[in-house]
Order: sequence, then structure tokens, then C-alpha cells
Amino acid sequence: MKGYTGKWLRVDLSTGKISKEEIPDEIKRDFLGGRGFAAKLLWDEVKHIDPLSEKNKLIFSTGPLTGQSLPSSGKMVIASKSPLTGGYGDGNIGTMASIHLRKAGYDVLIVEGKSEKPCYLLIENESVKIVDASELWGKNTFETQDILEKRHGRNSGILIIGPAGENLIRFSTVMSQKGRAGGRPGMGAVMGSKNLKAVVIKGTGSIPNFDDPKLKELGKKGYDEVKGKENYEFWMRQGTMTAFEWCNENSCLPTYNFKEGVFEFSKEMDGYVLEKLHIDRRGCPMCNMQCGHIIKDASDQRAELDYENVGMLGPNIGLRSLPQVALLNRMADEWGLDTISLGSGIGFLMEASERGLIPEKVGWGDFEAAQKLVIDIGKGEGLGKLVSHGVREAAESIGKGSHRWAMHVKGLEITAYNCHGCPGMALSFGTSPIGASHKDAWIIAWEISTDRFSYSKEKVEKLIEFQRIRGGFFESATVCRLPWVEVSFGLQSYPDYLEAITGNRMSWEDLYKIGDRIYNLIRAYWKREIPQFGRTWDYPPDRWFEEPLSQGKMKGVKLDREKYDQMLSWYYELRGWDKNGIPTQETLDDLGLEEVSKEIIG
Amino acid sequence: MAELKFLGYLAEIAGAREKILVLDKPMPLRRVLPPSFPEKNVIILIDKKVGNLDSVIENESSVILMPMLSGG
Repeated sequence: MKGYTGKWLRVDLSTGKISKEEIPDEIKRDFLGGRGFAAKLLWDEVKHIDPLSEKNKLIFSTGPLTGQSLPSSGKMVIASKSPLTGGYGDGNIGTMASIHLRKAGYDVLIVEGKSEKPCYLLIENESVKIVDASELWGKNTFETQDILEKRHGRNSGILIIGPAGENLIRFSTVMSQKGRAGGRPGMGAVMGSKNLKAVVIKGTGSIPNFDDPKLKELGKKGYDEVKGKENYEFWMRQGTMTAFEWCNENSCLPTYNFKEGVFEFSKEMDGYVLEKLHIDRRGCPMCNMQCGHIIKDASDQRAELDYENVGMLGPNIGLRSLPQVALLNRMADEWGLDTISLGSGIGFLMEASERGLIPEKVGWGDFEAAQKLVIDIGKGEGLGKLVSHGVREAAESIGKGSHRWAMHVKGLEITAYNCHGCPGMALSFGTSPIGASHKDAWIIAWEISTDRFSYSKEKVEKLIEFQRIRGGFFESATVCRLPWVEVSFGLQSYPDYLEAITGNRMSWEDLYKIGDRIYNLIRAYWKREIPQFGRTWDYPPDRWFEEPLSQGKMKGVKLDREKYDQMLSWYYELRGWDKNGIPTQETLDDLGLEEVSKEIIG
Repeated sequence: MAELKFLGYLAEIAGAREKILVLDKPMPLRRVLPPSFPEKNVIILIDKKVGNLDSVIENESSVILMPMLSGG
């Protein structure tokens, strides 16, 4: 099939064996790429193992749209069995490494085994070497990026872990280009467990497409369309930070560990403040709507901001200064820590301190304490150790009802949207296939625009539609969803792109089916790896059901558990899953997953 | 007085983030908006209830107009 290099590259760090394997056509057809390939590989090859053992595998996966001259196509998915959740874990990252991997002749890199000593992978087209990285171990991601760029040239794709990944912190990420991050559910820790400090890729080939002239024409048209959108100019000024004012207005801003949905200091740190502080921009390759805004942080260094890290390291921990948030964010990037889980972890500790559940005094908005906590969490030491395995485990450790406000689903910390008054978004977090991520279905705007407080079947249907597009198609294609979601770039372009790339015309119905296949396979993976997995894993924390908002226009609002339960039942029914949320044999068989149904159903 | 709040790029189109209007009589919302105001992908809340450009506003109405964000 055109549009793929057709190979995955497999590196066994235990034995040093390197192999290049043909990707079967039916896998391309049935799973498309990116998340689809990763889910298939993990299902087939990673079974009942400790995520931090050498038997786990780390998968860097691209899709047919990756690296093409198309809007925001510089993405790859990094996936593994998650050490944070125990289930399927992945995350996408915008990086030159995605483009270089394809140009080097591979759609997927699979890393398995464990190196005896720190190493990095050097992939230069056909040449693949395991290189000693002893001198890099312990260095932060920015220092490592500089060293590897100096050694191998700036025109390289480089993926790195920081000290947090080396220290096996369960929400450590993989970093690239001093600010791009991916793999929230501990992909950095998996890399660290393999003594793999970095992957450096230099590819000089080309991707064999079906119709390059047509693709070039479509690509130019696509980039022009993005730039021509009526909100493009505003997007370039505020980017995802547009959401800050929006969420505060709608009582969705994560505030004081998700206790509240409005922040009394919101006007001191919204997108308009960011505009005044903005000095530069960063982002992913192949993108003409880059979302990383650079400001001078509280220590006068350049640091990047976007909505998620401002929400979680700002209001969620009571911090009201963008330069201070930027400093925490830069530290997190240097250490290789996920900023969302970090903000949730610090918020958890601040609340635990406020309630007297821990002896340490860590007040809301205490910037000095927050800086120290970033380091402690990155090292897994001191008070930071308590949350270094995530807030689920922290709550299990301190007990006393703290699980009610440990803000996670399936062990993955909730991203920056408070759902006391957003039942559809709460269900989105509840049913996201990696734990509480917003990337699969962000339904808040749709539900506010229709009937915000309803628990309707229509809302559940819309949620599944979003999951099919965002979590199914975009994560597997693999391209960024932001052109569509943020500036209303036309979805109808994507089947045209696929046709020019692969030669095959696929409808959105076809793509939905691929998305459903991937979702069901991931769901089956959770069930196979965690036998007790089921319905109870699909609920957001008790806080949203039991503690109403006490501030703002939505004062008194909370979720209704019985009605949420009804929506969850509809979700299972529409997905073809049983009452416990497990795919039925009929559903799996319809998707061509007969082998999967034999394994989880018998 | 009717209070109108514009979020995101809609503030650029409206020329202000907030407007306070004294209305002679109840009128459709679109009458107080610039002709270039987008018809699609806009969420309109009037007194916390979902409205549209043809919804009637009056003095004492509290109106929020916001883009249909899709959340990163």
C-alpha cells in the first residue's frame, strides 16, 4: 500500500538485535497507523507483564499522514503498557523525529528489552546503532537536546527523557525540541526502565505516495485554508489560552484541585495577559498555527505556555502569575514531567496539607514550595515521593477519604477542565481509553451550546462521534487535531489526503469503523491486563458528584451520579459493550477481532 | 441596560470585550451586533439559557457570546 514506508524497525536493547519487518497490508488497512498500530502491537506482544520490566515494549508510531506537506502533520504516537495506570497508555508528540523516522524508512520503531547501561539509539536511514549514553544520564532534557544536536546536527529528530524518566516517575514524558512532550501515562518511565536516554533519527529518503502532485496541491490549499480562517489571527495571538477566559466564564477552570470552576485572579493570567508577555513562539514541525507561546519566566528565562499547563500549574494550585507558572512549566519540561499530572499532584498535596493529612505545610499559591515540589517529584524524594506514582496511589497511601478528591480516572490525572457542571465532559474523561484525557473527546462547548445540564442519549452519541474522529482518526492518521478543533479546518479534506497518499478512497464511515476497532482493542487490552477492570473504572472522582461548586455563576452545581450512570449505560449500549463495559463477542467479531474475543470472552 | 460579553475572537469582531446597551425596546440580538458577526460556531447564552442571533433581548438581559472552542 502506498503512503507507508511499509516497515517497522525493532530494536532489542537486551540482545542488541536489530530487525526490520514488513508491516502486513491488513494491519495498515484495519488499523491505519499511529495509535492503531500501537494498540495492535501491544495486544499481540505485551501481555501480563510489569510495565517497568524489560518485557514491556515502547512503540513510536506514525501514520500515513505523518510528515506529509499537510497542515500540522508532524506528529507521532508514543505508546506502551502504562506504569501509571497499568493499562494501555499513549500520547502524541509533535517532533521532527516523526518526519525523520518516516524519511529513514520506518513507520514504527519498537524498542524492547533493557540495555545494561545508559544508551541512545542512533538511526540514520538503514544504519541503526546503540550508542553509549553514560555521560548523558542525569542531564535534563534541554541540556541533552543541545548535546545531541551539536553531535548529530540540528537537522535531526531527537526524543529524550529527563531525570524524571530515569527515576521512573510514573508520569514522566518523552520530550523533544525543548518543549514538545508526549506520553503522559509514563512513557518516559518506560524509556528510563530500558536505560534508553534518547532516540536520534536522521532520515533522508522520501515517503512513497500514490499521487505526489495532487498531494502537493491539496497541502497548499489546506495551509491556505487554515490561514484564511476568521479566527486565525486571534489564534496566533492567544492560541489555546483563549480557553482560559472561556473556561472561567463557564465555570470549568480547574481551581484549587478542582474544588471550584472559577478563579478569583483569572484576569491576572488570561490570554490577554499572555499577549502582553509574549516574546516568541514554538511549536511542532509542519504546522502553521503553532500553539506554544514563549514568555520570560519568573527567573527571566525563556519558557513556554499553553492552556493545559497554565490551568493545572496556575489556578489548580492557586498560583496567579504567568511568569511563575512558566517557570514551573520549564522545570517540568527539563525534568521530563507531565505538566498536567504534576499540577494535579501538587494540588493534591496542597489540599492534603490544608486538611492536615500530611505534616508538611504547603499552602495554595506557594510558589517556593511548588518549585521545590517539582524537584522532589522529579527525584521521587521527600514529599514529592508521595505523588510521584500519581494521585491514585497517593490517595491509597494516605487514605482518610482522600480518594474522593484524587482527581484521576483509571489512574491518569484529569486535564484542565472542571466538570461539576459538564456531565458530557465528565463522561468523556470517564471513557477515554488512556484514563482522564481530553484529547479523545472535548465535548464541553457542544454541550454548553445545546443543553448543558442534560444527561441525554444524544450527548452520548455526540461523545462517541468525537471519540471516533479525535481518538480514532487523528491519533492514527497521525496528525494534529487542532486545525479542525481550533480554527474549524474542514474534516472533508482528510479522505482526500488519504486518497492522494495511499491510492485508496476511504469515507468517514470507513474511518469511524477503524476508530471503533482501535477503541475496542484498547478496551480489551485493559480487561486482559487488569482482570478486575470494568464499569467502576469509568467514573470520575467523587468530588464532582458530592461537593457542589461554592463560587461563581454555577454555585451549587454538581454531577448527578444516577444520571451519569444512565449515560454510561447508554455509552456501553451504543459501543456494543456489556453492562460491565466489556466488548461483547458480537461487537468484536463484527470488527474482525475474533482472536481478541476468544481471549477475553473465551 | 443589557450587558453583552464577547469572548475570544468575537471581541475583535464586536470591537469590545463588553458592551452595556440601553435598549429602547426588546429586539433581536442580531440588531445590536455588527453585520460581520459570524452566524455559525458561536455559543450564545442569554440569562444563562441557550439562545441564538434571533433571540430577543431587552434591558436587564445578560448575554454571553463565545466561540465554539474545541479544547485543544
